[in-house]
Amino acid sequence: MGLNLESFSSIQMDAIREVGNIGAGNAATALSKLLGRAVDMDVPVAELISVYEIAGHYGSPEALACGVLIRAEGEFSCNLIFLMEEEESAALADLLISMDLSSVDDEVRIQIRDSALAEVGNIILGAFLNALSMMTGWALPVSVPAVAHDMLGSIMDVVAATFGILGDTALLVKTTLRITDVEGESKGTVIMVPDPGSLELLLQRLGVL
Amino acid sequence: MSAVTHVGMADLVSVRHPATLVTLGLGSCIGLVIFDPSTKVAAMAHIMLPDSRDAKEVPKPGKFADTAVPLLLEHLKNLGAVKGQLKAKMAGGAQMFNIPGKDNSLLAVGSRNVEATTAMLAKHGVPLVASDVGGNKGRSVEFNTETWKLLVKTLGTGSQEL
Repeated sequence: MGLNLESFSSIQMDAIREVGNIGAGNAATALSKLLGRAVDMDVPVAELISVYEIAGHYGSPEALACGVLIRAEGEFSCNLIFLMEEEESAALADLLISMDLSSVDDEVRIQIRDSALAEVGNIILGAFLNALSMMTGWALPVSVPAVAHDMLGSIMDVVAATFGILGDTALLVKTTLRITDVEGESKGTVIMVPDPGSLELLLQRLGVL
Repeated sequence: MSAVTHVGMADLVSVRHPATLVTLGLGSCIGLVIFDPSTKVAAMAHIMLPDSRDAKEVPKPGKFADTAVPLLLEHLKNLGAVKGQLKAKMAGGAQMFNIPGKDNSLLAVGSRNVEATTAMLAKHGVPLVASDVGGNKGRSVEFNTETWKLLVKTLGTGSQEL
């Protein structure tokens, strides 16, 4: 594992960003079909940041956030996270459910929303992985989704710890999806977190290592 | 009112009374405090990972359980702490994402952090007098040298003092 993130060339960074671009493009299309609404995508970003500042990069460590995670394990292994602000996650879930939940008791409402969010994560992140699979020819079997609602800092620990095993820098490929609704806009960010050593495999496969 | 010091990820901070040490948004990470009420000193680390084995270099020893514990003890010794009077408290080590049927070590790093930190404290003969670890909720912690208590805050379930 001789890969040193700090010395990545611009070609390598571009290749990684392109993975984010195609993956998130697929994800946006899938989400748009699921919701029957327009979904826009920001220009994807691939950037190197300190593992100690990951949470701060997305907001305050104690801000309420929702993350949906799926794990791909095959010839290449990684975790994919769809990260939202807590309020926006509720809005997105309600958009998908399209049902008045005001008379439902709190616990049931949370369960219904979580099941919708798990499905959103499944569709979006699965579409991202499909694109990656097509680009690389790798079979990428995927796990069921897991949903967490908690402090942003706690949720992002999984990202910091994964990159932190080998060094002090994280390579974050992130894309923001924006869902336009009559009532406004909700958004979420797709973050790819390759297992230690997996990034090297990906760069090799893309022909830039 | 004592000064509040924030302990960032992988940081390690030592203080004399009066002081308050705070670390926010612990998921799989551990907030570990070792203190000596007899000489009124305390030190806290925000531990991210169990061991430094796979790291090429360790610029921040607070990051790993195996490097943080010895350095905390060194800091406390330099501040005049008495070895036999030292006590430890910790919180954190949660698993934020649980995928049924997948026992993945990257997602379960929290429990390995708890094990490694507990083992390091035992190795150095520091009694762990209180802890709130594991589960699937994030925590923020605050340690105060007035009371020598560790305040653990969790979303939804409120806070408790250890």
